[in-house]
Formats: sequence, C-alpha cells, structure tokens
Amino acid sequence: MAVHETDVCIIGGGITSAMLALKLSELRPSLRLTVVEAGRSILDVQNRGRYRERALEYGEHPWPEDYIEDQQAAGIISMTMAVGGLALHWGGACNRFSEEDLRLKSMYGLATDWPIEWRELERYYCEAERRLHVSGEPSPHPEDARTQPYPQGPIPLSYNLQLLKAWAEQSGLKFQSLPMARNLTPFDGRGGCCVYDTCGEVCPSGARYSPDFTFRQLTQPKKIVLHDRTLVRRLVLDDRRATIVSATGVHQDRPDETIEYRAKKFIVASGYCWSSHLLLLSANARFPNGLANSSGLVGRYMNGHRFINASANIDDQTYPGQNMTHSLISREYFRCRADRPFVRHDTRVWESSSGRNPRLRTPDGKLLLGDELMADWRSRTKGSSVRLRAYVDVHPSADSRLTLDASKKNRHGNPMPKIEHHFDEPTLARQAATKEHVLGVFGALAKAGNGRVVNTSDGDYLDHPGGGCRMGADPATSVCDSFGRTHDHENLFVVGAPTTPTGGCTNGTLTFVALTLRSADEIARA
Amino acid sequence: MKRRTLIQWIAALPAVLPFARLRVFAQPRELTPEAVAFLHEIAPTVLPASIAAAQLRTAVEKFVVWTRGYREGVALAHGYGHPRLQKSGASPVPVYLAQLSSLEADARARGGRWSALDPEARRALLDAAFVKAGVRNLPPRPLGQHVVADLMAHFFRSSEANDLCYHAAINREVCRPIQITTRRPAPMS
Repeated sequence: MAVHETDVCIIGGGITSAMLALKLSELRPSLRLTVVEAGRSILDVQNRGRYRERALEYGEHPWPEDYIEDQQAAGIISMTMAVGGLALHWGGACNRFSEEDLRLKSMYGLATDWPIEWRELERYYCEAERRLHVSGEPSPHPEDARTQPYPQGPIPLSYNLQLLKAWAEQSGLKFQSLPMARNLTPFDGRGGCCVYDTCGEVCPSGARYSPDFTFRQLTQPKKIVLHDRTLVRRLVLDDRRATIVSATGVHQDRPDETIEYRAKKFIVASGYCWSSHLLLLSANARFPNGLANSSGLVGRYMNGHRFINASANIDDQTYPGQNMTHSLISREYFRCRADRPFVRHDTRVWESSSGRNPRLRTPDGKLLLGDELMADWRSRTKGSSVRLRAYVDVHPSADSRLTLDASKKNRHGNPMPKIEHHFDEPTLARQAATKEHVLGVFGALAKAGNGRVVNTSDGDYLDHPGGGCRMGADPATSVCDSFGRTHDHENLFVVGAPTTPTGGCTNGTLTFVALTLRSADEIARA
Repeated sequence: MKRRTLIQWIAALPAVLPFARLRVFAQPRELTPEAVAFLHEIAPTVLPASIAAAQLRTAVEKFVVWTRGYREGVALAHGYGHPRLQKSGASPVPVYLAQLSSLEADARARGGRWSALDPEARRALLDAAFVKAGVRNLPPRPLGQHVVADLMAHFFRSSEANDLCYHAAINREVCRPIQITTRRPAPMS
C-alpha cells in the first residue's frame, strides 16, 4: 500500500477545491496540501482553440476524456469528472443569492434558515468575485447593496442586448448586465474576452474563469500536491475517536494497489453528488449509515432550482450572433412580500435566433434549395426572437435524496449514486401559481414591447444542484455547521454546493465559492 | 506440417483473421476526385447561386476538408441536464460516395448531366434522396445522413451564411474585440 502523508487532504478537484487550496496556500503557506481528483488533468490550454473548432465542426466534446465511464450517477447534470470539474465548462454566471435565501423560515415560514448572517456571507461574495475576477455592475435594487465594487466593470452590452434591455424595461422591470467571471482584459495569466461565444463549452482565451488555471498556478510552484486519476473510495475512522485518520483510494493505472492518504484534516470538495456518495460509502460499524450521518441526513434535501423557459417575438431588429452567451438579469422577484403568495425567481433575457434559422422545407413540405432557402430564411428574420428564462425557488423535502444504487457498480464494486429530487409540500402546493406568475411576467415583458410569447417550456431537471450535506446549527437536523465542519467528526469538512440547505433562485456557483472561502478561514484557523 | 493440416489451417484463416476490421480499413476515407467534381456541379443548385462563383467553390472545398477531418469513435458533447455518452460513428465518406453515385445515375436516367436537368427535376431527385436518407430538416451540422444535406448544413449553419442572410458583418463566434459587439453590425458591402 502506498502511503501519502499531508496536513490537509482535499478530495475533489472542482472550483471549490481550487478556491480552497488557493486560499489555504495563502493563509498557511507551510501547510502541506494534497488534492485528490478522480478524473484526469486537462491543462493543455494551448489546444483549447483546436478543441473548440472540433466541437463546433464535428460536435466533439471539447474536454477530451473528461469522464470516467463507470463512475456515473443517475440524476447527475454533467458527466464531467476531471481536474477543474464542471466549472471547466460553466457559463461563468456569477449572480449572488439574496438575504431571503438565508431567511426562508423566519421571513416566510418555509424550508429552513441558513446558519449564516447575510452581512457575513456578503463579505465572502466580495472575495469570491475578486478571486474569480467577476465583471459586473451594481444592482438597481437597494436591497442588493454591496460593500465592495466589482473588480471589473460590466461586460459591455452588445447592440442586441441594448435593444433588448430597452424593450424589457418597458415592462417596469429593471435589468442589468449579467455578472460573469469573464476577463475583459488579460488578467492573472488568462486572456481577455474576444467573444468566441462558447463560454459554456470552452473558452480558448481563458477569459472565462476555469479552475484548471488555478491548479496550474498551485502545482507548478508546488504549493500543493495534485493527485489526479485517483479515486478516493473510502474515509477511514480512527479506532477509538470520531476523527478521520485516512482516505483510501486507487489510481486508474494501478487498480489493485490501495493508496492511503493520512492527514490532519479531510475536506470533501466533491460537489453535490460525490460528496454525499463518499460519506455513505464510508459506513462502518460505528457509523453504519455512513460517516457524518448520525442525523440520517447525508444524501437528503438534495436541492436546486426549477426553470421555466419562453421565446418571445418582438418588433425590434436584432442581429443574432453578437454575444449569445451574455444576457440580462432582473432581480425584481428575488424579494417577495411576506403578505403575498410566495414566489421568487430571477428573470433572464438573451438574444436568440429561435424560429429564425435556415430550414430545409416550407411548412407545406416543399424542399428549399440554394437561393430559395436563403430567401425564405431572410424573410423570417424581420424583428427578433428573444429567449427568456426564470430560475424558480423550490424547496426540497427530506425525501429529495441521493442513495446508493446496488444495481449499478463501478469497476471496484462500489454502488453508484442515484439522485431523485422531490419538493416539500408547500412547494408542491404553490407550483401552479408559481408557473402562472412567471408566465405572467414573460407575457407582460413581451406585451410592453409590442411582442408576444410564442412558446414556453418547463425544465425537466433541477439546475445548479446542491444539498446532501446541509449545514445548520442543530446536529439533529443538519450534517455540518456553517463552515462545513461535520457535526460528527471534528477534522472532516464538506464544502460548497452540498452544504446548501436550499438552492436559491439564480445561478449557484458564486455562492458555492463564497461559502468555501468562508470555510477556508475556519480550516486555516482550526 | 502435414499437407492436410496446412490446408485445414489455411481454410480456417477467414475465421480467425479480423476481416471485418480489414473491410473497415478498406473503406474509402476521402471523397474521390470524381465525387468532389460532382459536388461542385451540384453546389449552385443547393447553395445560394447569388454568391460569387469563388465563394461557391470555397464552400465545397471547406466541406471536403470537413470530410477529411472526420474522426471515428470520438466522444461527442455529453450534454447538460441529462448527459449521455455518445461517440462519433463511422466516417460518412463511403455513404457519401454511394449517394453521389446514386444521384449521378438518377440524373443520367433523366437524360444527362446534373447541370443539364431543369431545376424542378433536380429538386425532385434531391427530395427523393433526402426522404430515402431520412433527412427531414436542415441538420445542425453535417450528421452523415445525406451528403447534399450535409453540404448545405455546412454552409447555411456557418457564420458566413448568417452574415449573408442579415446583410451584416455579425461575425458570429469569430474572435473579435468585445467593443465591436456594442455597435450595430456594419452592413455587408
């Protein structure tokens, strides 16, 4: 058995792991930090342009071999398992939650409160924005007051988005440029944005932040040790005390040789799915339901937000393709008066070419060729299509679960996770009213600009998922405290998405990072 | 080795040798010069004839380059939300060659070269070919169903065609200073 000794062992190599390792290396430079990631490193930035070209031309995945075929879960939203995690190909949206997310119980009698004060979280939002180099502008709503400005000004609105902002604001809602972790000019070893417009797939210039850059910065001067392609299969408990003594795993090339990581602290930074999974897999005689699970809540309250989409047609003439990955956001409905029916959501607006793409046949089936096809396409480009979406605040029930599926095992014989989301009773009870409200907002937007909604659809999964190791002050109703320290094991932390009690109503990544940076302070202190 | 044993051994070779794989290797990987020439002949029918002849030629050449760059067995985009592992299939070139031969034969059966047919005859031939290949819509990118539909997709889904449609230099997905996007795209000359 190979043994690796370290001070802090971070399990998982995504965005929260990167931020945690970076901050710990700054706060405690003498700490020995080891990051163990099941997937491989894809640090060849110089090839990104080629990967992008092939993705556009051939539909190839732009992150080669970023998955492990037999390490997949039912109910996950991405197959990616690599150094950098899902944030290799995130869009870069950096919205904050709002104070209401942290006070759902006390303000509305719903779900639960988070064990953190908004003012404290806001400080860490500022830090997260600084580290991710977020481009943004202040919200028009006074409730969204910030203590520090964004590190960069907003992403300039394209001509299309300028038109759409003027259109959308006729409804009375206020919109702003979506804050994004996108360099406007070169910064921190990454290039400036030149509108490749494939942020959600791959950014050749590196303008859109991805954690592989941070790992390169940390590994080249050996501030951390990174073990990639190494799957941690189990956390091992001390024989007498309730502390973790080691993590055991295997390297992909040496499946028969166990690697043992001995550390003073163990941080599970494996995201919404694999964090709970590892704790459940690590069950032993003293913790037969899994580590950190004396509450029975590991793998429960799996959360995220629902979403509702729409397309609208308006009279203003836009030119699809200017900057399709940027958008407008309204935070108008982040707040909900306590004396009104509960509904919270963000409202997003994108340029779109929906319904205005070239087509092969007319509606009556005639084949279009050459100039006819171009003429038909051109005839349908008058006015504009607009893409609308709302992320809706929904709350999980305890039965919203990640469980071990004995019928699906990886090559090592470990059962794979299965995630099934379920809402609590109040969420189910208000679903129809919530949808009616959101469609009403979309309708009002369209109507104010002489437009009309032409189609709507409901998302069929929960986006920006979290939960499974929810934080709280009471060990009976939570898995960890507000820093992610598990109630059962003083040297075991969980960070980021799994610790969130509820999923908010806007993109979650910035919140996952802010929470992790707060955990880093505590881990460095302890 | 006895003579009978040798004969038996030779007779057994087809069962043990990877002939299936050899057959795959024997498949053409590139369009033949004749096939490329025929694509050039078809192009003015299916791509906008109003663009310059040089552009038409370039559109076909780019598509031919696309066929050469095709790789088999590569993971395709997994998707998000409901991810799924899919890999690229066999090269479409053998199918393309057969489809082009078939179109050429159909044209001959109607009395001559493709370019000599009247537009409605060409449309009818392509309509039938697309139906046979299961092509209902313009593919989002070449998908290997039918060579002509793929040639059309390769052109009409391009940034260049988008600009042509809008008569504007939008330059979708082309690296450019972000400030340029704040202005209305310049009209195409």
